[in-house]
Amino acid sequence: MELELELEFQSSTTTSGVHQQSKSSSTPTTSYEFPVGLRVLVVDDDTTCLRILEHMLRKCAYHVTTCCQATVALNLLRERKGCFDVVISDVHMPDMDGFKLLELVGLEMDLPVIMMSADGRTSAVMRGIKHGACDYLIKPVRLEELKNIWQHVVRKKWTGSRDPEQSGSMEETDRLKRAGDDIDNASSANEGTDGSWKVQKKRKDAKEEDDEGDLDNDDPSTCKKPRVVWSVELHQQFVTAVNQLGIDKAVPKRILELMNVPGLTRENVASHLQKFRLYLKRLSGVAQQQSGFSNVYYGHGESNAKVGSLSGLDIQALAASGQIPPQTLAAIHDEVFGRPTSSLVLPVMDKSVLLQASLQRANCISVEHGVSFGQPIIKCHSNISKRFPSSSISVEDIPSRLGTWPNNFSTVGSSKNLGESNSESNNMVTKILQQQKRHQSALPDSSHTINVQPSCVVVPSQSRSNFHAGNIAAPPNQSSAFSSSSLVDYSYLSSQSNNFSVGIGQVPDAGLKVTGVLDGYSVPGSISSVSSYSGLTDSVSSWQVQNSITKLQGSDMCSLSGTYTSKRGALPNQEPDRNLGFVGKGSSLPSRFAMDDFELPMSNLSHGKAYRNNDRGVKQELNFDFIENGMPVIRQFSPSDVMGVLSK
Amino acid sequence: MLGFGADRLRADMNRLLALLFHQGVLDEQFLQLQQLQDETSPNFVSEVVTIYFRESEKLLTNLRELLSDRDFSDYKKMGIHLNHFMGSSSSIGAKRVKNVCVAFRAASEQNNRLGCFRALELLEHEYCYLKNKLHEFLQMEQQRIMGAGARYPIQN
Repeated sequence: MELELELEFQSSTTTSGVHQQSKSSSTPTTSYEFPVGLRVLVVDDDTTCLRILEHMLRKCAYHVTTCCQATVALNLLRERKGCFDVVISDVHMPDMDGFKLLELVGLEMDLPVIMMSADGRTSAVMRGIKHGACDYLIKPVRLEELKNIWQHVVRKKWTGSRDPEQSGSMEETDRLKRAGDDIDNASSANEGTDGSWKVQKKRKDAKEEDDEGDLDNDDPSTCKKPRVVWSVELHQQFVTAVNQLGIDKAVPKRILELMNVPGLTRENVASHLQKFRLYLKRLSGVAQQQSGFSNVYYGHGESNAKVGSLSGLDIQALAASGQIPPQTLAAIHDEVFGRPTSSLVLPVMDKSVLLQASLQRANCISVEHGVSFGQPIIKCHSNISKRFPSSSISVEDIPSRLGTWPNNFSTVGSSKNLGESNSESNNMVTKILQQQKRHQSALPDSSHTINVQPSCVVVPSQSRSNFHAGNIAAPPNQSSAFSSSSLVDYSYLSSQSNNFSVGIGQVPDAGLKVTGVLDGYSVPGSISSVSSYSGLTDSVSSWQVQNSITKLQGSDMCSLSGTYTSKRGALPNQEPDRNLGFVGKGSSLPSRFAMDDFELPMSNLSHGKAYRNNDRGVKQELNFDFIENGMPVIRQFSPSDVMGVLSK
Repeated sequence: MLGFGADRLRADMNRLLALLFHQGVLDEQFLQLQQLQDETSPNFVSEVVTIYFRESEKLLTNLRELLSDRDFSDYKKMGIHLNHFMGSSSSIGAKRVKNVCVAFRAASEQNNRLGCFRALELLEHEYCYLKNKLHEFLQMEQQRIMGAGARYPIQN
């Protein structure tokens, strides 16, 4: 088999270059005894390791060649092209850096190279990956690891014949890594990612560009020409030139002139430009996706669609890459998985976490919430903060709002939080009120959202309104956060007891709406007075209706899409009805409303099954926080604002 | 008599190995080394260990030289040596030596010369201990192999 392979190698290398070689060498995969006889070259200046490795590889029935000098190994590889399937190289060698060897082997032979070192620190491993190592073994190398190295040979061959890039999986991961990176960049306020990482990442990206360029030049047609190595500096020059010209107007010739690098041809630049454009496109794609995430807060349906495009596999890849800061990853994860499952709870939690993050203290929101659902929120927060530099304001405002409720709604429920928030709140209240007035247009939306709270959809609309408000991010944030909390609150109240009515009475619009929604779900009968709702026997449908209504109320609805949007048109008139019906009904709510009923609507929203489990826990947790929060919040919107909205 | 000796030898070897494991001098990588020893290379362990000692001796000398240099500043080179030492030590399962190497490298990365000196002392100490014990072990192994090869002349 070996002989045959060698022959194939030789013929292919002489005729048409590296890629064909890899294709032809995939023959061993068809052999039933494939890994046997895999030709491995081991390079290590450490003779102890070398000896052990050699023996281990022999145990694996590989064909081993050892070499204790990198230069010798390189010569060997050059002389006997196609005589090795995989190279295992130490990182630190006196005559030549292992990475240099790796680079040369990658360029000239396109062989899979496995790096190994006693240095298992992330930075070292990262370096290996950056240089294109297909694996990184940490000494002591174990037999089990070596048994598996044939996979790199196969992978290389398959991906090599399909795609000149290092490896398909790596490429995929990288793209996703970029996505993660991008998200980081987009949310500049996100402090979770340290700068150095980013820088490293950037460099890596640049480096990758190099690799792409290099490998592209491997095309048989161009392989005779001197290889252009797109070093980081060269790439930088290139980017500068492109920027100078503008990406749309950048043509290879002009770039070449601007770069003024001897030896560089128009073709080189053209190829690199093409890569660069692709890269930019990818980036923008990622950005879109990312904005999709943030859009979750605008319109749930819309965001869902985008999120949906991310496959689970991708996420896994992301996770596997480990390059995404935990926050971001978690955020993405939650977006993709968490959202759908618990449409209702999540948004609420998000908001609360948001609050928490901004507040920097867990006063109003329990820590548990943050932990369980926090990530998306954090992300949201970062986005928001980015757009609204005045995020600090929001931090102040939120506490104050919290404080306000206790005062207003002593009846609602006693909580430890109340006291704390109170002390802070007083001075802030006035400020908040002012802000609210200023942003009245935005406020209506938020109040609506409060009403609709049960559905995650509502929350999005709120945040959106916030964005619309633009200048003053803080008030919207608060309102949205509170509104979400208030929703939970109501539901909880209703489920628990008739307290709910009290809250409703105090809270003009929002309270009523919420109650109405709840009623529709849990006990249609009790809500008989509300004509529009009575018709809805199915709890699910009622929820949807409500959601749509709420959205309608929010003038910003345009952003919303999906199920919600579709419903909009159908239910324009229901909103007022709902409100009216509910005014009287608050007290009548049966305690039965309860968790189960609540859950059902949620799941019906088609956002997921996992929700159930979460639901109870969440709700219970929420109760504490939100009973207090919800009422006050609503209160804050107060008659004038609410009325304005209603009248509208 | 010979059979009895072989058993006792084996027991001694096991005891010594257990002690070394217990002290953290060796780890399971050493066992893997033993498992690699087969008919094709009956002396594999002793061979590797011998190579290791030879290499380590060189490395220790280098490290000592580097550190005793008055205007020493090449911590990078030291780091490379230490990496090398770490790699080979961990490969034979010399756990404690490897751990000292890690500490040594940390000190050298902080350009902590005093720390490097201390670490070097410790490293030499650990290395000597390992060397003595492994020699002892290998000697017993050698005896065992020889004993296993010896046969009573077949009596008629």
